[in-house]
Amino acid sequence: MKNELRVLRAQRNWSQADLAERLGISRQSVNAIETGKYDPSLPLAFKLARVFDTTIESIFSDQS
Amino acid sequence: MPQKKLPPAIRPYILRFFSAMTLYVVFLVGAVWAFPRYHPTGPLAYLLAILPALPIMAVIGVVALYMTEEQDEFQRALLVRALLWGIGLTLAATTAWGFLEVFSLAPHLDLYLVFPLFCVLAGAANGIVRLNYK
Repeated sequence: MKNELRVLRAQRNWSQADLAERLGISRQSVNAIETGKYDPSLPLAFKLARVFDTTIESIFSDQS
Repeated sequence: MPQKKLPPAIRPYILRFFSAMTLYVVFLVGAVWAFPRYHPTGPLAYLLAILPALPIMAVIGVVALYMTEEQDEFQRALLVRALLWGIGLTLAATTAWGFLEVFSLAPHLDLYLVFPLFCVLAGAANGIVRLNYK
């Protein structure tokens, strides 16, 4: 799955560690999601959307 | 250098793990010391013999507890993957060893060694699995 996490982080000037702290997960986990190596569960995707004050669809898009 | 913060679920896991391993050493030394001296029989002998296995069973429970307490789903997924590799490799290795034993091509492997073998293989798998996500 493609995602806009890097862009959204850059807009807020957040590091991966900053985002990880807001989500209550590790920086390694944020990196895995951001690089598309790991697709988050629906609850974590919702949490991401809340943190960025947007919708899941505007963060993630289906590549296929 | 910035200090690396441990994830919250790791701290109790480490404490429980080392508590169980301390008990294991105590029970193992106790059983090995007591058996040749007191020659227990009946249920007491069974209890004493199985005593070192109880903390090992507790370690399995400690890992299961960690899985329920770890809030980071990606870390849980990595651990599950490592454990599956550990289980698969242990079953494959011990099954192969068993047949080698049947045909007298390998010495007898005591079953209590299966768990340490699993720990080594799952530990190695954990390191390899995490290499992909550095």
